[in-house]
Amino acid sequence: MSSADPSPDAPGSVAQEPRATAGGYAWSIAMVVATTGFALVVRAWLALPDTEMLFLLTVMLAATLFGRGPSLLTAALSVAIYDYFFVPPFHTFAVADFRYILTFAMMFGIGIVLSTLTTRLRRQQLAAVRAAVRAETEELRSALLSSVSHDLRTPLAAITGAATTLRDDEGLPDATRAELLDTVCEEAERLERLLANLLDMTRLEAGGVTLQRDWVPLLEVVSGALMRVEPRLRADRVKVMIPEGLPLVSVDPILMEQLFVNLLENVAKYTPSESPVEIRAALVDGHIEVFVADRGPGIPPQDLERVFERFTRGSHAGVGGVGLGLPIARAIAVAHGGRLTALARPGGGTRFRLAIPPQGTPPEPTARAAQDDT
Amino acid sequence: MTEGGALVLVIEDEPQMRKFLRASLTSHGYRMHEAGTVREGIQLATAYPPDLVLMDLGLPDGDGIELTKTLREWTSVPIIVISARGREDDKVAALDAGADDYLTKPFGVRELQARIRVALRHSALLASGSSEPEIVIDRLKIDLPRRQVFVDGREVHLTPIEYKLLVLMARNAGKVLTHRTILKEIWGPAQTHQSHYVRVHMAELRKKIEQDPARPRLLVTEPGVGYRLRDRVE
Repeated sequence: MSSADPSPDAPGSVAQEPRATAGGYAWSIAMVVATTGFALVVRAWLALPDTEMLFLLTVMLAATLFGRGPSLLTAALSVAIYDYFFVPPFHTFAVADFRYILTFAMMFGIGIVLSTLTTRLRRQQLAAVRAAVRAETEELRSALLSSVSHDLRTPLAAITGAATTLRDDEGLPDATRAELLDTVCEEAERLERLLANLLDMTRLEAGGVTLQRDWVPLLEVVSGALMRVEPRLRADRVKVMIPEGLPLVSVDPILMEQLFVNLLENVAKYTPSESPVEIRAALVDGHIEVFVADRGPGIPPQDLERVFERFTRGSHAGVGGVGLGLPIARAIAVAHGGRLTALARPGGGTRFRLAIPPQGTPPEPTARAAQDDT
Repeated sequence: MTEGGALVLVIEDEPQMRKFLRASLTSHGYRMHEAGTVREGIQLATAYPPDLVLMDLGLPDGDGIELTKTLREWTSVPIIVISARGREDDKVAALDAGADDYLTKPFGVRELQARIRVALRHSALLASGSSEPEIVIDRLKIDLPRRQVFVDGREVHLTPIEYKLLVLMARNAGKVLTHRTILKEIWGPAQTHQSHYVRVHMAELRKKIEQDPARPRLLVTEPGVGYRLRDRVE
């Protein structure tokens, strides 16, 4: 039924336009049959004069519920049955009175008018829903753009400043030159991290991420993350407590490492540079639970959930970032069927809790090598 | 080894990247040929056989993985591929196609020099056919004839698999080895999908040779790609 097809850009998930489906036609026929039965019964008992009203009601119902095709079918069937059973001469399709021709025309007319109106109404509703979605996307996009352009401009400004000074100012002391060169390198790295976060977020948001799961020792993932954040989170601050016998976890190693990198980057940004950090893992009811705990200033209780919203940043001055690190971390946890939450830590600080649900039986960790020659 | 300057063939279409590579390579005494496309790359590689190929995986007229396969049909020249972050599959594909190592954009000059040095040393070793009886890397010493491993002068006892794994990594020190390569070498070609074997034994090996297995200094993970035994520890 191409006439009732939604426009090609219709998002499948939002409200559906009434489509003349096979089900609609089947229901129409069923309704006409039921009406006929009902009308026959009613006529036997009460001798109701305007049986056509019952059929009209059926046509209206079909028009509003199932769209034009089924409503026309209902009208045609109603006309035929009404004519056959209820219009004299009975049990023929012959029509004695011209008045009935008018009734038939009315049934068709009402079917067409009502189904057109319903279709138009639904189309308007759908358009409204789409417009709302579009507006939300637009708003998100502009929030993203303004946030990003500010955050990109800060390191770019530093790079431009340092590079032009190096190029144009002669006679700079060696120490200053070295400092400026360091600035260029550090800020370029910051830009790279920012862009990497943005890329991750868009990939995760688009739902275009297929997990490349593998059975991995949790320590491998955590140690990979620790090495990546080492320049910003000194190794001796972090205590890792992962029990020896912890089973392998079925995760996407790259994404899971990114989750920990983002958590640890967050710790590095918001906690004093000497405060201790703990990473602790345990097996609880078949779930692997990992805690990343710091002794920083902590997150106010009302913000514990808000930190996972995009573009949310702590209220500390001079903290760079787009506010995407934690949302990405949570998106990764969710993609694994897991959960990531922030909790206040008794004694001060924040505790991030990651729970990864079990995924089948971990493989036997020991495997024999081919031609083991000892 | 770089006397007369090893010849590096750079296959890269971005002018700015070529500029950076030219500056960095020539200042370290390498000679350099530049190609911007797969076609030019093959032409130059045939006309002037290079000592090392540095190639971007995304080229305008084809991809570096195919080019790697083509080059591998007739040359064993070390190939280092340059690829973007997030394209781990491409890196693995290039390595499995015969590339020796990779660099992730953006990379610094130190990383570039280190990779080139390792790749050239390996090809020189392969060419000479000599193998040393002893491998020493930082605090680690492997006595190959006696099959003994020492960390800080103290002997550590490895299982046969761990020993094989360590020797494989050490013979390729500085180079990344993919899960598939390691599985093939240690467990045989039938097991190339069981990458958790590698991860588990790597974890055991780390417990024995690393001071802090949570922060490996020698055996580092290359996420999504494989492992690298560092040839020198910073």
